[in-house]
This record gives sequence, structure tokens and C-alpha cells, in this order.
Amino acid sequence: MFARVRWILLVTLLVLLTATLGVSAQTTPDENTLVIGQSVDVGSLEPSLVGSRAESNIFGHLYGTLYDIQSDGTLAPFLANSYTISEDGTEWTFTLNEGLTCHDGEALTAEDVVYTFQRAANPENAFTGNTVGFVFPSVGFVDARAESDLEVTIITDRAQSEPLRLGLLSEVYLHCKDYYESLTLEEAAENPVGSGPYRFVEWVRDDYVLIEKVDPEAPGFSRIVWRVIPEASTRVAELIAGNVDIVANVPPDQVAAVDASGVATVQAVQGTRRMYVGFQFSEAFADSPGWEAIQNTDVRVALQYAIDVPTICSTLLGTECTRASSMVNPPNDNPNLVPYPYDPALAEQLLDEAGYPRGENGVRFEMVLMGPRGRYLNDANVVQAIGQYLTDIGVQTTVEILDWSSDYLPRVREKNVGPMFFLGTGGSTWSALYDMADLSAPDAGTNYTNWQNAEWFELWDATAGATPEAERELINQMLEVFYNDPPWLLLYFQPDFYGVSNRIEWQARRDEQVIVTEAALRP
Amino acid sequence: MMLAYIIRRLLQSVVVIIGVTLLSFLTLHLAGDPTYLYVSERASEEEIIQARQRLGFDRPLPVQYFSYLGGVLTGNFGNSLRARQPAMELVLERLPATLELTIFAMAISTLVAIPIGIVAAINRGTPLDGGIMLFAMFGQSIPSFWLGIMLILAVGLGLRALPISGHVPFLEPLFSGNFQLAASNAPETLRYLIMPSITVGVFSLSRNARLVRSAMLEVLSQEYVTTARSKGLGERVVIVRHALRNALIPIVTMIGLEFGFLLSGVVVAETVFSWPGVGRLVFNAITQRDIPVVQASVILFSFLFVGLNLIIDIIYVQLDPRIRLR
Amino acid sequence: MTDTVRENPTIKGVSVLHGGAAKPAISEWQRAVKSLVAARWPLLAIVLLLLMAFLAVFGPQIAPRDPNRQSLIERLKPPMSADAEGVIAYPLGTDALGRDILSRVIYGARVSLSVGFAAVAIGGILGTALGIIAGYFGGALDDVIMRLADIQLAFPFILLTIMVLVVLGPGVGNLVLVLGIGQWVTYARIARGQTIAQREKEYVEAARSIGAKNLRIMVRSILPNVLAPIIVLASFNVASVILAEASLSFLGLGVPPTVPTWGGILAESRDNLLGGSWWLAVFPGVAIMLTVLSLNILGDWVRDFLDPRLRGR
Repeated sequence: MFARVRWILLVTLLVLLTATLGVSAQTTPDENTLVIGQSVDVGSLEPSLVGSRAESNIFGHLYGTLYDIQSDGTLAPFLANSYTISEDGTEWTFTLNEGLTCHDGEALTAEDVVYTFQRAANPENAFTGNTVGFVFPSVGFVDARAESDLEVTIITDRAQSEPLRLGLLSEVYLHCKDYYESLTLEEAAENPVGSGPYRFVEWVRDDYVLIEKVDPEAPGFSRIVWRVIPEASTRVAELIAGNVDIVANVPPDQVAAVDASGVATVQAVQGTRRMYVGFQFSEAFADSPGWEAIQNTDVRVALQYAIDVPTICSTLLGTECTRASSMVNPPNDNPNLVPYPYDPALAEQLLDEAGYPRGENGVRFEMVLMGPRGRYLNDANVVQAIGQYLTDIGVQTTVEILDWSSDYLPRVREKNVGPMFFLGTGGSTWSALYDMADLSAPDAGTNYTNWQNAEWFELWDATAGATPEAERELINQMLEVFYNDPPWLLLYFQPDFYGVSNRIEWQARRDEQVIVTEAALRP
Repeated sequence: MMLAYIIRRLLQSVVVIIGVTLLSFLTLHLAGDPTYLYVSERASEEEIIQARQRLGFDRPLPVQYFSYLGGVLTGNFGNSLRARQPAMELVLERLPATLELTIFAMAISTLVAIPIGIVAAINRGTPLDGGIMLFAMFGQSIPSFWLGIMLILAVGLGLRALPISGHVPFLEPLFSGNFQLAASNAPETLRYLIMPSITVGVFSLSRNARLVRSAMLEVLSQEYVTTARSKGLGERVVIVRHALRNALIPIVTMIGLEFGFLLSGVVVAETVFSWPGVGRLVFNAITQRDIPVVQASVILFSFLFVGLNLIIDIIYVQLDPRIRLR
Repeated sequence: MTDTVRENPTIKGVSVLHGGAAKPAISEWQRAVKSLVAARWPLLAIVLLLLMAFLAVFGPQIAPRDPNRQSLIERLKPPMSADAEGVIAYPLGTDALGRDILSRVIYGARVSLSVGFAAVAIGGILGTALGIIAGYFGGALDDVIMRLADIQLAFPFILLTIMVLVVLGPGVGNLVLVLGIGQWVTYARIARGQTIAQREKEYVEAARSIGAKNLRIMVRSILPNVLAPIIVLASFNVASVILAEASLSFLGLGVPPTVPTWGGILAESRDNLLGGSWWLAVFPGVAIMLTVLSLNILGDWVRDFLDPRLRGR
């Protein structure tokens, strides 16, 4: 018996030992392979279902687009080389490059572009991705038609700012007709054939997506592995161990550890996501504490002075950041607007004047501040810090933190958050109007606060078809309206932290896209 | 008789599985309309209504439930709302990875627990016993996510002895008939398995070690063991023939109940160690209200649970002839 | 699954096949105290648990600060660091928002312990009641209750918990409810087995023959005999509920981050570990460990005490 017990123990030990020591301990990628750690997996490989950042990162390599949004925010020709605009501004005709092919060898012509747009718009396919859910309503898409082999016209119902429309249309992933017509939707979702610099090789769900370079002569790594690593500490550990080359969203408090590792360095970039606290105007919240107070413009302005945004940035986000003066990313914003400074005394004075003095218990009014966790950089802590700042000036704030995907996101979509709520919406480097499109109409799906300022929406409608100079003037006016009657408590543009292995050369972008076509080994 | 028993049990499990699906269906629908998770940000009111119809959420709940149940009977578990793939396929695709983790964790928690429990019992009161029991006590008081992160930092990053996270498939190629790949993957699979399965299994390991110890002590003090001893049988023979056999009964019982328990460890360990298993799939499915995927995994797990317990009951009878199946 | 042999399972070392102790009398309590004093570890465990309970009850009076009061400039201060005037403001340091760890751990005792005990109380009472009813009446009622138990057992507990918390949202009440409901089956099974064993005993028969009401018999005659293994199970169970709360916090489903719990503080600390802020994890971790350890030691002792054949081990 004892012999057997010992035997079992011994075998277990031996197995464990050989397992741990027998094989080389590490899994460092080879010189032709780049490994990127992302927190979530792609939900599907259907180009018209792309919605999340993790998906658009991978699809940005697999599929070509008409134009390309560069890291500096300029728009450069990609699969198309030029375009013309019809007189009334509703029809845009793009000229494609010659000799384009999809990864299966099929020629990519105007007909395929038409197919891409029509397939995405087809209600029978019931796509919900960025193309049909965001791009099409934003440009007022009607139809597409081929003029010749190389010329394709996108038909819309309205004129629009030129860079805005060009940028939006450049988010549509072009694919070939014959291949996609031959597949069912289910098959298409697992077998993407693209038109970009990389081709799809393998997807192991919740584990990794492997893609490889189409043109061996082109710059960039031959193989890219997109690993799914949900836990932030694990991602950083893998980075420091040298097993992963790029990870996004390094927690600010781990930046120093990464920099000290000698293996990897953190790149901090000024992101484009606008972080703000929304003031809910919907009557549905009329019974909530504090709702009535924030209907008063003076109160909303006063609260802007209560939050020490620079300190939040330097402590909780681990970087200096400038406070936003509007919803538009610099340098496209209104340069005349000065960000609200942190001045709690002024905030208190303005609240006194607005008719909300401190009561006997020191409380002016009560407030509920909602926020998500697990979505934005250090979100739960930032929300709690904001709650503390509000409480400090006498606005007794209860912070409610909800899980992002199961709870907060659906509520935001239903505009059922408030009276104050923390949110961040994606912005752009290439168009002020893109950033302002959150408030494109009083009933826009993204007007989460239900803001009804008539002046703003009149000016918005006037931008359609305006000359670039007139458009700029309108934008500046609108941002002034926004500044003086703020529907948002303006915070910051979210900084992004990318942990980058020292073995590679790569520059992170501001728009949260991870594009590594130009990454290379450090010589 | 055994066959009749098995058939009866299987019939009962149908009731159980219907109950389980009903429970999860109601819970997920009580949360409100999931449609918003499946339309884009800029969707208009009209588009939302269309989407609701398309997803079938506009029908009354009983209709939705029974049409789902009808589908299940014909082997149609519905499509994932997010991935747009057959839900059961998604779950089954991930199952091998979770099985690897669960089986290995179970193996650790029993195969290691039994010998150390026996050693502790035999050396009752000695420092060895005390040491083992102390280890077991600590093993039962560490939150598993914490242990996982500590293992990553200490063993994975500090010592560089084991891979930090990830998975090399073994069962998946095995099930698909690719034995060569399975065999060549095996050592790597094992290396990737060690830390996650310790994370999953350490609580059970500790508890089982204590269980074995007290069961052994109990059995060792019983008359038939004393009799066996007095007959001049060697101590080893006594322990193997008489004591261990009886001490195993509570362990076997535990294993059946443990399955559900290990699964909760699996959700945490799969997240910490980036393990592509069902635990993470179903966790994400719940938070995204991907109801067909949740249902499919719940059905699958219930099935495994029922099956496992049936097997255990049968083993049970083998271990203890006094017990009869009814 | 129920009508198999495993009606009387041995769960967590609780041997329930034998009848359990008789009604505790005064002498029994004396014996308990004596035994407790003789065994040093259980005594220490009790002292520790009493200390934790004291922290939990008098937290607001003891805690030096408001556990949610933040001060961003004073974030991540190590333990015992003195300010310019040599005053040690934060004996256990501060967290990422500059909140006092000592106060948070003290308030955390409140939430963690009450979640643990309340959940076990709910599960224990519900389970014991249903188990006794099932065992006492038998028949269809028994079938229904035990089938419910099967459904619950076959439904992985963690999935149920996640689902319910996703639906109801995070919160102390919801957490207690779902963790409590998750526990009832084990209690029901034990109570049912014990009840079946007691049902045919003479004193129950006697009570029935003099016309005692069912409820009275169940409460007066059966319950005391069922209680012993239930108490043992409960003491282990509180420990595992405290750990479950920690795991749920890690998954972001426990109590909201504005409410300090040990598990929550520990889960929050993980982003600061590589940065070297060990104190964020160590203090709540030690609190969890000591409590769980004490509960287990105590559970062991209660079991040994109530089970005479194991006494003295």
C-alpha cells in the first residue's frame, strides 16, 4: 500500500517535473511573427458585422477600403485613387486602382464595391455592424452603382462635409462578389476572404486569430497573431515575459513596472475618445434626486468648475492631459474656447447664485452619478473620484457603478441613465463634424442626454453643403453654444497606453486602431 | 435491474433539463429586452422594432419558450445572436478545453488528496500530519482568482518555469481523430494546464485531503479493521483492503457534487489564464444576453452532471455492496 | 437522482448517517466549553471570529475614517508612512483613490461577514425546512421538493449566480439572496435523510399517537435531531460563501465597488500589484484567510464534538 501511495506520488511528481523543466520554458514569438494581445475576441469574421475595436483592428489588415484613414488623421487613396462629387453633393463617384484582387484571386472591380455596399444594406442579411449601423445612417446611404469596371458611384440622400463623408465611407470593408455570393451567411462568418494586405489563416475562438502577409515583399511581419487575453494583469505579464509584442490598455499603475522591465516600454498617446459626464434631460428622470437642479444651465456650468480633471489624469490615468473645451478633438476644435478650470470656490459661488445654497447639513442637493466598469481606462475609479469632487462642493453624490455590457450599455442605448452618467464616445482625428455627429438630431440614437438646444440643431442642419470656410464658422458657433449651455460635464480625451516590446519598432495611433502593417523588428 | 434503474434515471433527467432551461430562460428574459444589444448605436426606432421581430423577442414569452423547446427536441438549439453560428456547435467547440481543465483539476484534487490524506491519517498527531493539515487549511482559504494571479506573477513571470497563459489543445485533436497531433501536443498541453488546474483544484484538493484523513481515521477505529488487525494481517493489507475502500465512499460522493463547484473555478481560471473554454464563453454570453448560447451550455452541463452522477451511483454500488439501487 | 443511495450523503466530512447528538442540555454546553478550552486552536479560532464580529458590529465607531472618503493626492501611500509632521495618518496605507485601507478593511468585515452569515442563514433555514418537510411527509411533496433540488444541482451554481446578478444587478441584498438560494439543496438533502431516519423512531410515533400536530412534531422532535450536521455544514459554508463573494468581485459581479468588501478590495488590488503596492492585497487577503481558516477550524471542532466517535482526534 505504502509502496503504491509512494508510487502515485512519485509518478505525479515526475510528470510535473518533466512537464515544467523538460521543454523550453518560454514561448517567445519568432522573428517573422508579431503577437498582439487584445482583451476580447472577435464575435464573427463577417465584414458587415464588425462593430468592436478588436474586430476593426483585425479587419483593418484583412480588408481594403476606398480611402485609408492614416495615423495622422489625413485621408489617403487606398483601393480607390480619386473621386468626384455630383453637383448636388449626393452622388460620389470613386475610381478604383487597376488590377485589384481579393485573396482568392478574384478581380476586385466596381461591381464588387457595389456588391459590398448592397450586401451590407440588404435587410434580409440583418447586419448590425459599423457599416450598416453607423456609416450608412451617417451618410444617408441610398444605393451604389457601377459606372464602369473601375468607377463606382455611392448614392446618398444628402450633401455632407467632404472629409466626414470620405472618412465614413473609408470604414466600409470591400470584398468580392463571386466568393461571398457562393456562401451562406454562416459560412461567410467563419471564412473571410479579404482585399487587404493580410489574409486570414486561422481562428480559434477565444484563443487567437492568425493572419499572414499577402505580398512577401511588403513591409511588416509575415504573420500576425491576435491573442485574446481578457485579464489586464495577465496581458501585462505576457508582455513583460516577452511572449506578446503589443498590448493595448495597460493599467496606468502598471506602466512603471513595464518600463522598468527592460523588455517592453509603454507608449502613451492622446486618444480621441471623448470622456464626459452627461446631464440627463429626459423627463423620465424627473423624480430622481438632482434632476431638477441640472435642468438649470447655470448649475451645469457651475459643476464644470468642481472637477479637478488634471489631477484625475495625473493620478488615475497616469498621464498629463488637457481638459476638453468641447466635444471635438483638437486640433479640429474651436481654439477660442478655454477649458473650464478647476475652481471649487467659484463652483460653490455659482451654485449659491443659481439658488442652490448649502443646507444646514452642508448639502445643496442630492445627485446620482452612474458609471460603467470594465469599459474605459480606470473607469470605476474615475467615476468614484468625480462623485467625491461633487460631494465636496455640497452636491451629495451617490455613485452607482454598473457592469458595462450586461447593464450599462443597454441602459445607455435606451437613454435610461442619469441624472448624471459617465460615458466616452469614439472620436476622430480627421473631422470635427464626425465628433459632433453624436448630436446630429434631437432624437439621434447617440444623443444620450436628450439635449434639445434648438440653436445647435439649426446650425447643424446648416452645415450640409456648406463650403469648408462656412462649415468651420458654423462649427465654431456650435461649439460655443455647447460650451455655454453644456449638456456634458467636459472631462478629457482618453489617453491610451500601449505596451510595446522593445524588440519591435512601432508607433501607436491616436484613434485606438492597432495597425501594424509598418511594424518591424528593431535592428 | 441496473438497466431499469438507468432508464428511470434518464427519464428523470429530462424533467431536470426542462426545469433548468425554463429557469435560465426566465432569468434572462426578466432582465428586459435584449434587442438593444443587437442593434447599432444609430439604429432608429423602426430598425429596433424590426430587429426585435427578427430576433423573435416580440412574441409572448411562453410562445418563445415552447418554440425553443420544440427546437431542442429536434436537435436545433438555435443560433448565437452574436456569432450567428449554431449555439450548440459553439459550446461543443469549446468543451474539450474545459474538459481538459476540469478533468486535470479533478485528478489533482483526488489523486493528490488521497495519498496525502492517508499519510496524514496514519501519522496522526505528528508534525507531518500537522503540516499537511495546515497546507490543506490554507488551500481552502485562498480566493482562486488571487491564487491564479499570484501563480502567474511568481511561477510564470518570476521563475519563468511555466507558460503564463494560453492553451495547447489535446482533447480536440484527439476527438477529431488526429492522434498524432494529440500525442505531440500532450507535453505542452500539460505545461499549460498546470497553473490553471491548480487554481481550479486547490480548494477541492485541500478539502478532499481533510476528508480522506477523517474518513480514514473513522474507518481505522472501526471493529472490522481491529478484527483484521487482530487476525495478524499486516498494516498495509489492512489499510488497502479494508480501510481505503470504505474511506473512498465519501470522496466518490464529493466528486459528483464537485462538478458544479469546479465549474465556478473554471470561469475564473479561464479568465485569468486566457483559457478558451466554455466557462468564458458562457460568462460572456450571459453578460451579452446571448440566450441561445447560455441555454445550450446550461443544457450541456446539466447533461454532463446527470451523466456523471449516474456513473458515480454505479461506482458507489461497486464500492459498498450494502447499498442497493432503488 | 434523489431516490438513490445518496440520500444520506457524507458532505464535507459531516457523517450524517448516525443520528447526531441528542438535545443539547446544560451539561452539554459545559462539556462544549471545556472541550473548547482544552483544544487550543478552536479557541483561538473563536477568539479571532469574535474579534472579526466585533469589527463588523462596531466598525463605524472603530474605523478611523470614512472608508469611501477619497484623497487623490494621498493615493497609494504605503503602510505606516508618516507625513511632514510625523503623523501616521494611514496605518495600513491607502488605495488607488487615496482611501484608508484600515477603515475599508474594518467596514469590509461588516459586509463580507454579513454576506457570509446571511446567505448561509437563508440557505440553511430554507433547505432544512424543505428537507424536513420532504422527509416527514414523503410522497408527492417529497418528489417535488427533491426534483427541484435536482434541477438546482444540475444547474451549475456559478451560472445561476452570474445570471441572477446580471439580471438583478450587483448589490449586497441580491448577492446574499443568490448565494443563499445556491446553498439550500445540500441542507435539504441532509435534513431529509435525517428526518427519514427519525420519522419511524419511537418518540415520534409516541408524539403522533397522542395527537401532536405535524408542525409541532417537526419542530419539537425532529428539528433538534437534524440540527447537528446542519450546524457543522453551516460553519464550513460561511467560509465558502466568503470566498465566493471574492470570486464574484473578481468577475465584476459582486457588490458594487462603492461598498467595501474584503473580496472587492482584493480584486481591485490586482492592477496595482506589478506596481509594487502590496498592501492593497495583503490586508484584505489576510482578513479573508484568517476568517475562513477560523471557520474551518471551528467547523472541524464542532463536528468532532457532536460526533462522539471522533472525539479526541
